[in-house]
Amino acid sequence: MTTALENLKKIKQGALQGLIENGLLSSTRVYIGMSTCEIAAGSKAVWDFFTSEIKEKGISDIQLKQKGCAGRCNLEPTVEVLQQGKVPFKYINVDENKARDIFKKHIIENNVESRKRTEEMLTDPFMLTDRSKFVFGDVDFFRKQKRITLRNCGIIDPESMDDYLSVRGYEGLAKILTDYAPDKVIEEVTKSGLRGRGGGGFPTGLKWKLTAQQNDSEKYVICNADEGDPGAFMDRSALEGDPHIVLEGMAIAGYAVGASKGFVYIRAEYPLAIKRLRKAIDDAKKYNFLGKNILGTGFNFDIELVLGAGAFVCGEETALIHSIEGGRGTPSTKPPYPSISGLWGKPTLINNVETFANVAVIILDGFEKFAAIGTKDSKGTKVFALAGKVNNTGLIEVPMGITLREIIYEIGGGIKDGKKFKAVLTGGPSGGCIPEQYLDTQVDYDSLKELGSIMGSGGMIVLDEDDCMIDVARYFLEFTQNESCGKCTPCREGTKRMLELLTKITSGAGEEEDMKKLERLANLIKKTSLCGLGQSAPNPVLTTMRYFKDEYTAHVKYKKCPAVVCKGIISSPCQHACFIGGSGAPSYIGLIAQEKYDDAVDVLFRENPLPVICGRVCHHPCEDKCRRNAIDRPVAIRELKRFLTDYAHDNNKSKTIVPEAKREEKVAVIGSGPAGLTCAHYLALKGYNVTIFEKLPVPGGMLAVAIPQYRLPKNLLNHEIEQIKNLGVQIKLNTEIGSKLKLDDLRKEFKAIFISTGAHKGLKLGIDGEETAQVIDAVDVLRDINLGKKTDIGQRVAVIGGGNAAIDAVRTLNRLGKEVHLLYRRTRNEMPAWAEEVDEAIAEGIDIQFLVAPVKVITESGKVKQLECIRMKLGKADKSGRARPVAVEGSEFIMDIDTLVPAISQEPDIKWVTGGDSGFKLTKWNTIDVDMETLFTGQEGIFAGGDVVLGPKTVTEAMSHGKIAAQMIDKYIKGQEIKRDYKVTKTALDVDVFEMTEEEVENLKRYEMPMLAVSERAGNFKETELGFSKTEAVCEAKHCLRCDKEEKE
Amino acid sequence: MNDAITINVNNKDYSVESGQTVMQALDKIGYHIPRLCYHPKLSVEGACRICIVEVEGSANYVTSCTAKVAEGMKIKTNSAELRKARRDILELLLDSHPVDCNTCERDGNCELQSIARSVGIKKKHFEGERKHYDLDLSSPAISRDPNKCILCGRCVRLCNEIQGVTAINFTGRGFDSTVTTAYNSPINSSVCINCGQCINVCPTAALSEKYYNVELFKELSNEKKLKIVQIAPAVRAAIGEAFGLEPGVNMEKQTVAALRKLGFDLVFDTQFSADLTIMEEGYEFLDRVANKGVLPMITSCSPAWIKYAEQFHPEIIPNISTCKSPMSMMSSVLKTYFAKKRGIDPKDILSVAIMPCTAKKYEAQREELKLDGIRLTDIVLTTRELAWIIKSAGIDLVGTEEEEFDNLFGFSSGAAPIFGVTGGVMEAALRTAYELYVGETVIDIEFKELRGFAGIKEAEIKMGDKEVRVAVAHGIGNANKILEIVRKDPGRYQFIEVMSCPGGCIMGGGQPYPVGTDYIALDEELMKKRASVLYGIDRAKTIRRSHENPEIQRIYKEFFERPLGPKSHHILHTSYEKKLPHGIYKK
Repeated sequence: MTTALENLKKIKQGALQGLIENGLLSSTRVYIGMSTCEIAAGSKAVWDFFTSEIKEKGISDIQLKQKGCAGRCNLEPTVEVLQQGKVPFKYINVDENKARDIFKKHIIENNVESRKRTEEMLTDPFMLTDRSKFVFGDVDFFRKQKRITLRNCGIIDPESMDDYLSVRGYEGLAKILTDYAPDKVIEEVTKSGLRGRGGGGFPTGLKWKLTAQQNDSEKYVICNADEGDPGAFMDRSALEGDPHIVLEGMAIAGYAVGASKGFVYIRAEYPLAIKRLRKAIDDAKKYNFLGKNILGTGFNFDIELVLGAGAFVCGEETALIHSIEGGRGTPSTKPPYPSISGLWGKPTLINNVETFANVAVIILDGFEKFAAIGTKDSKGTKVFALAGKVNNTGLIEVPMGITLREIIYEIGGGIKDGKKFKAVLTGGPSGGCIPEQYLDTQVDYDSLKELGSIMGSGGMIVLDEDDCMIDVARYFLEFTQNESCGKCTPCREGTKRMLELLTKITSGAGEEEDMKKLERLANLIKKTSLCGLGQSAPNPVLTTMRYFKDEYTAHVKYKKCPAVVCKGIISSPCQHACFIGGSGAPSYIGLIAQEKYDDAVDVLFRENPLPVICGRVCHHPCEDKCRRNAIDRPVAIRELKRFLTDYAHDNNKSKTIVPEAKREEKVAVIGSGPAGLTCAHYLALKGYNVTIFEKLPVPGGMLAVAIPQYRLPKNLLNHEIEQIKNLGVQIKLNTEIGSKLKLDDLRKEFKAIFISTGAHKGLKLGIDGEETAQVIDAVDVLRDINLGKKTDIGQRVAVIGGGNAAIDAVRTLNRLGKEVHLLYRRTRNEMPAWAEEVDEAIAEGIDIQFLVAPVKVITESGKVKQLECIRMKLGKADKSGRARPVAVEGSEFIMDIDTLVPAISQEPDIKWVTGGDSGFKLTKWNTIDVDMETLFTGQEGIFAGGDVVLGPKTVTEAMSHGKIAAQMIDKYIKGQEIKRDYKVTKTALDVDVFEMTEEEVENLKRYEMPMLAVSERAGNFKETELGFSKTEAVCEAKHCLRCDKEEKE
Repeated sequence: MNDAITINVNNKDYSVESGQTVMQALDKIGYHIPRLCYHPKLSVEGACRICIVEVEGSANYVTSCTAKVAEGMKIKTNSAELRKARRDILELLLDSHPVDCNTCERDGNCELQSIARSVGIKKKHFEGERKHYDLDLSSPAISRDPNKCILCGRCVRLCNEIQGVTAINFTGRGFDSTVTTAYNSPINSSVCINCGQCINVCPTAALSEKYYNVELFKELSNEKKLKIVQIAPAVRAAIGEAFGLEPGVNMEKQTVAALRKLGFDLVFDTQFSADLTIMEEGYEFLDRVANKGVLPMITSCSPAWIKYAEQFHPEIIPNISTCKSPMSMMSSVLKTYFAKKRGIDPKDILSVAIMPCTAKKYEAQREELKLDGIRLTDIVLTTRELAWIIKSAGIDLVGTEEEEFDNLFGFSSGAAPIFGVTGGVMEAALRTAYELYVGETVIDIEFKELRGFAGIKEAEIKMGDKEVRVAVAHGIGNANKILEIVRKDPGRYQFIEVMSCPGGCIMGGGQPYPVGTDYIALDEELMKKRASVLYGIDRAKTIRRSHENPEIQRIYKEFFERPLGPKSHHILHTSYEKKLPHGIYKK
């Protein structure tokens, strides 16, 4: 009698013989990705093209084969051309045009050398079994992966039994049928440490053993292929790419537990996987790998497909069993476990696709090899569907114990568009959100559980700063709520109430009580639900509450959605992102689109105390969050704002807001920068008698002395300040508090004081030779130039830094005819300066050297002579995800300079207020320590804000402090409780949408700001931005999607 | 006998029997854990989660209805956290419930209400969207208010497991789950057989009978009509419970008095027409035996059974006795013989029936039962409805002077009351048939083997030269089992009694709710108590065979001439047809 192995060998020989006789091994083979994802990406057209071309051209020695998914979603469709004795080639993102090209050059002309080699190309000669080396290649995406389950996916033709046989197909089955008693099979699986890959992580060997122990002549094996997590596609890809591996695993399991019948429960939404499974089952029966008397051993095992209707809960084993039985897919309580009483009350082994896919390898290679991979309690590998905001999305298989950081940054290639990582969600809707501080957590069942998440079946969704965690939690809860079977009370009713609470919070109506209720419900549902769906449904909520409590607080208390997502709170993203709040952008943009400029100006002037300034120098966070980004580029909101102020200026329109009745109380504002001016503006509107004290001879603070004229012309700045004076605000220039006039003197006269003296002191570089006279900080340089003072600046200047002060300094010095060099220790990507400013500096011909840091200033007779620098390189990402600059040893070099301008950062100079026992507290950044809610300094009647509290920040952040301070001072004076009132963002004025077709809206492009020609900038300080014409402004306003008018949820 | 094990409950050790659930063990120890979806006669669902307890070593709470006791198990039933969880689960149920208790018919005997009180709900935390479903008032017998449904699924399991009808099941998912019929069709076009057993197990008023009290009061003030009411045997055996009496009190005479107080002109006893039924049915049986008619003959007095057979087993229709039910026989007699005798137009008679049964409401409007185009029974009320009406009219049922039925159709033999309990129809029929066939009285008038509450009862009676094998089934599930036996062995039985409700009419879908008492629906103790009333009435009578009832004898003499005669055939017999409700297709 022949053994199973001998029989298998014969089958394989027959198959190989057939292949050789057909001459297939010597032909050209073109593999085209034909998984669902590849087809969705367009591979069917490529396939059709090749098919018809081969037919048309009558080429006979070419074989067109389909392959499964290798996991690189973002590179699909993929095509591989393999020719005996020649370099294999892989093509990515192939469309019909590219296919035509490949066909012509590679196949017809055989002109491979002329083609650019892809990074994944390897030159090893190949046979089918070696193809994996080539397909997976030596790229970051695959380097950290370890493929067991997916070892054949993307390698073999999933519909070809010959292909599967060539990769040791059915050898595992033949081996156990020849050499192993059922007990021995279970022992191997047990010792391998394999745990259930469906998510629960129950030891597979133990499950098999329990089922095997049941004394029943009828037992079943079920493969759970009811994959339902949003964003998860592991099982589908595995079944589409390599269906036999699962069938083989099931047959081995059937032998081990004593079952002769298996079911694959797969959702009907997976037609391709179903088709391939059907074919695989038919083929396996033909070859006697399934059916009666398998491989002549007397072992019978049959597999049937059952199509599920796509209920998430049917992934729960008891619900799945009820569904196969023809009942309603609802779970029942365990015990009894399916191993004891499962399908039709019979002992039933139920495992996930991925679990079965591991079995043959464990048998063939031995448990030791498998157990050597992974951690102490989690062995082997795990497949993940990596999705979300990473550069390389796709299907990956990694060894257990790999860290989340490795997966996201090394395999995933980091966060898309250079955004900031926020959280990673594992386990889909049953899982949890893991924040940044746990990125170095090892991926295994127990570690993830400890963090409040689960391994799950393998969905892994990466979230970035643009994702609102409450919205994410709400999304998943909505999913589980929809998918709750409705059987048990906590899950059915409780998830509904949780969803209502979350919706309330995301709509801005949340109260603090709601968070307690959410937590109470979440714990209730977790502890009392009948099945895993309910028990895990609160996980996304619980983990986000645990790790992102501040986002909940932001929504509930501050009515802010930090990621600017939640429609109910934000009204429109531009307004919500604005620091001064309620900027009215959608309203005035809508009015511009309708050419109602006067109305638009009114809205702007009402909402913004410093519109001219904002229209020129605001860093426009509104545009970063503009929804138009998803289509092309954001609406030019700042430019439109500027257009309106130009229009107002040209037409002599001024603010029309009338202040409230005059009040007796006097308020002092120290510092006339944006914070001080804004505070004075709002206090004046409340009727207060406001005096601003300014140390410098000009008003405006940094606006006047740091921002160069070519960005903010002085006359316009002064005009804006005049408007505030017109509200009754007095400005006393050249009046420094702390010298002649003391703070205590002000206290006597003024009911309240707002300190907004800014941050005007440059920080030291901390290098040798810095104390030399020709080392002058950028803010000092800019101040002197702006005030028209004479400066000591030489001719060859090096500016150090990458922020706006650095750029302002180099552009200013360049205009004065100096030879300037900007040195920055990282790259352009990491530069904090605003992109358009950097662009302009480069356009103006300024030399910017990246990855360079100063080491020491070389002086000669007390004067700066040279600067020693060192080159840097970007090292590993630090905790923030930003690459850390590392010095390149031995790369020092010398620059000849006569002036060094550090521009790395500033801090406030506030000795005057903190000296002695003034009672003011300072932070470690030398800023005034205030209650950030109210800006109260702790000193009776004294508030502080702007850069003196924040450190060097933006104009609008300073303005926002000015606005808050005005509100708090008003309350303080009126004897009301000093606290902030937080309100949901509302559009200033409801303006109709300018009617356009969807197509028109789509086709509009952003208008670029007309600029002064670079040749006309040298030697002068003419404004570089010229402003929009009416036509340009109207067109740009129509570019706006008007999301403020979108239906609220 | 299972082993004794030790469990610890609230820090005290108890010796309990192994193999039982925690709930069963706790019940015996004396802890009654609140429960909603659990019912001892139905499969265990574990869905409502109210019966959770804390078990040491288990991360989550454990439902005591599903978990089995184990040696050394440490259970807490009343910890503060657990009580809060139980409270919150119940609140979740209430949050999507109308909570219109003061206008709800189950106010005071609602399980949800009493559990809400017992778990201590004072304040609502999670209120939100309510459910909004249309009421299903399509059926003359069963009304559905899905808004009040808490999805415990008792009705679903009852309809499936006990009755084997499966007219209702869960549909929809999550919050949108409902219990409804196939294709969500109105219940009157579903396969529902109107037995009303679902009402008895429903913890709220999601299921109830269709109410006719408004119509009744309106008709009672109609001066033109002669208002006649009949009472079924089982009504008197249970109505007292609705007035706070222990089960097992015969309230016949008080009910008669109350009905007169309500304004009925004549109060007749359905037991009279039960005797009439026995006459017709007994003769029909003997006729089938003698003339090689279709056997086994199956009784026809349970209207839910009739609908079931018409829908699911039309092949059995020829086996079903063509006799109308006692209620319909009484109504037929009222609108023919009685009307004629009194010389009034049948249209001027208001014929009301008080029944323990919801299906009788359906029966009353069956087209097949109309006589010369006239509907026979105008209004059917359940025992529950009558109790409410009596209370509503301010009548003191318990303290009222006892009164007798009106003459003519007020007298009955002892065979009649036992119609209300499983096996009773068979026993009554045999008492008469035996005598008619054999020509002598039965030696022991009580057929002990037909009594009791075994699902299926069999008996062999030697009737002279003939061995008659009879069977009795109560509950449609059991009836189906008998049909299965007949299918395999058609000659096994000659006569079969089927009652749709487990226990018979005493446990009908219209009987008082046992909520708040020591009894629950489908409870055998309750069955025994109610049955004892009917057996007691029988035992107290001197005439215990239907054919000996002098009123029966008179009606045959004066009107019908003889059983199975042309007149009685026209008036007292009916026909059945295959029915195809929505969702059942012709093959």
